[in-house]
Order: sequence, then C-alpha cells, then structure tokens
Amino acid sequence: MAKPFDELRERLLRAGVAPRHVRRYLCELGDHLSDLKVDERNAGRCAADAEAAALIRLGRTDDLANAMIEQRQFRSWSNRAPWAIFSLGPLLMLAVAYYIAMFLLWSGWQIFLPGADTPFVRIDGFAIFYLGVGRLIYFGAPVFVGWIVFLIAARQRFNALWPIISTILVAFVGGAAQVRASRTAIPGGLGHIRMFFTLPSSGELLLDRLVGAVIVFSLGMVPYFIWRLRRVSLS
Amino acid sequence: MVVDYLMSEDALLAFFVNGRNELVVIPLGSMYSSFSMAPRETNPNFMNGVPELLILRLVQQEEMYGYEIVQAIRGRTDSVIAVGEGVVYPVLHGLERDGALRSRRKTVNGRNRIYYSVTPAGTRRLADLAKGWTNLTAAIQTILTGEKHGEAV
Repeated sequence: MAKPFDELRERLLRAGVAPRHVRRYLCELGDHLSDLKVDERNAGRCAADAEAAALIRLGRTDDLANAMIEQRQFRSWSNRAPWAIFSLGPLLMLAVAYYIAMFLLWSGWQIFLPGADTPFVRIDGFAIFYLGVGRLIYFGAPVFVGWIVFLIAARQRFNALWPIISTILVAFVGGAAQVRASRTAIPGGLGHIRMFFTLPSSGELLLDRLVGAVIVFSLGMVPYFIWRLRRVSLS
Repeated sequence: MVVDYLMSEDALLAFFVNGRNELVVIPLGSMYSSFSMAPRETNPNFMNGVPELLILRLVQQEEMYGYEIVQAIRGRTDSVIAVGEGVVYPVLHGLERDGALRSRRKTVNGRNRIYYSVTPAGTRRLADLAKGWTNLTAAIQTILTGEKHGEAV
C-alpha cells in the first residue's frame, strides 16, 4: 500500500527539489498529519474518517507539490546544472581519487621499499595492505565514481541519459590513465611517480582500452540497474 | 461568504465581505497558492507577502511549530484565512533560508518537532511587510469609501 506522501516525494524529486529539502518537508508533513488525525479523532470521527479528513485538511498533492516546486532556491545542483554535476563533478572526483592513490603508492614506496627502483615489485607484510589500498583506489576509482554518479541520478530520479554520458566520460578517462615510477639520477633521491593520459597508439591498445572502458561502464551501471529493477518490482 | 476574483495579466485580486460587512480586497498571485480562503479549501490562491506577514507576526510573539502556526492563523482570523495546511512549510523553509526565521528541534510531550522563531532580519522584514500591507489596505479603503477622492471632486 502506498504511503500518504509517496506520490508527493516522487513529484518533488522529479521536479528537481533537493532530496534533503524533500525529506524535511515530508517529515514535517507527517508530523502535521499526525496532529490533524488526533484533532479529527477528538472531534468524534472514527480512525478511517479521521485519516481521510486529515489528508483533506493537509492539502491536495498538487498544491503541496507546487508550493515547494515554486521555491526555486530548494532546487538541487544536479537539477540546476546537470552538465556540471555529471561531467565536471565526476572528473574532479576521479582526479581526487587518483591523487590519493598516487600519494599512497609514493609514500608506500618510500616507507616499505626505500631501496627499490620502482614500487611495482614483490612486497610482503603490511606493505601489501598499504599499497593494496592505493591500487584498489587507482583501479577502482572510475567504477566508484560511476556508482556515485548513479546514486546522485537515482536520488533525483534522473533518467539514464546524464549518468550514462557521465560514466562513458569516466570510463574513457580511466582507461587512458597511465602511471610511471622512477628514481631520480641523484643517489638516494626520492622516487618520482608520474601519471598521464594517453590515446592508444595501435589497434591492439585501442581494443584493450575499449574493453577496459566497457568493463568500467558495466560495473558502474550495476547499482543503477539494480535500483531500477527494484523500483519496477515495487511498483 | 462569497469570494469574487478579478484577474488581469499580472495580477489576481480577490474580493469578499467579511463578518463586519466590510469589503476586503486581497491581491493574489499565481494559481499555486500558499494560503486559501476558508470556503474554498481546495482552491488555493496566492497572497503575495501575506503568508510571510502572518507567520512572522505569529512566531514573533512565541516560538511555534507548523501545526501551531496554522491553527493560530485559523483561530485568530475566525477561519476567514484558512491555510491549505501543508503548504505552510515551503513558506517556513523559504523564510528560514532567507534568514528571517531560525528553527530548532525540540521534544515536547514525547513528540519531536521543529520550532520556528524570528531572527532580527525577520523582524525587519515583518516591519516592511506590515508597512506595505497597511499602506495598501488604507489606499484601497480610501478608494472604496471615497473619502479623499470624494472631497477632491
């Protein structure tokens, strides 16, 4: 059975009202409805009649929705500027994730492998965990960012277009990322880790990148499809 | 009570006679309302600035939560102004966002509610709104009674 404000919640989210404002609005409406029910019960109505009367007093879904939708200051950023949230936002998140991953790789190299010319060697003990986290972030970042994008899209009831564009962008950038590590010529100098983005130079590399991008895209989409399937089954 | 409406391209006015047989004119806004006249609970109308005015005045006197505000408006106006109850919250949230109201959670009798109170900025806004509303009603009343213009003619 649908709850009293399910339809209102959907309308507000689809109209672009930020989820936190929707949550607060529905919370206060719920409290108000409880008070109205008590009021109506005190007036001598039975429970069913009291609920019906309380809902009428609270207002029609159209009116409740329009009153909130009109207040444009409650719109979410994803509704105001979807191009920024679904293109610049994911790239920024990806950059931050790569920065953290590179820092972990570099610091792990200095801490656990001070004499090694590269951090990409056999490691033992706690170094496995430390550098493993860095690698997980590096390789998983595009997928994690894809999940965040779809979470934002699902919360705001966006259709799949923007998140798909966003995930393709992230998968493309993630697939083009390359890491190089080297010691400086100075003995005992600090190691350098460089990250750069390249376009594939041969057909084989292009195929590798495409496969990588498809994997990232597919993994990134999984939560969104689960969410859609769940909504379809609930409705 | 009969409510008549006069609509132009950018304004909607409502006319009705109150309990003291006075003709009251209220400027309304768009089709989407924050408040409604009592006899037409499902036909909301905008009264630009009036919801804010009433809410600020009420919570200036004491801290209140949404339900209390609605009941206070209904009670103190003898139901002449009946709020489409749920739509008071977007107005409250808007005023809070503008810095005219502040809110805090408070548990009373086992119920956790959000109470609203006026800020100094809200007090200034109330003064502005009250002044504007007083001027408007005085001007309309002058036209209706024909006092000043009647003398001039």
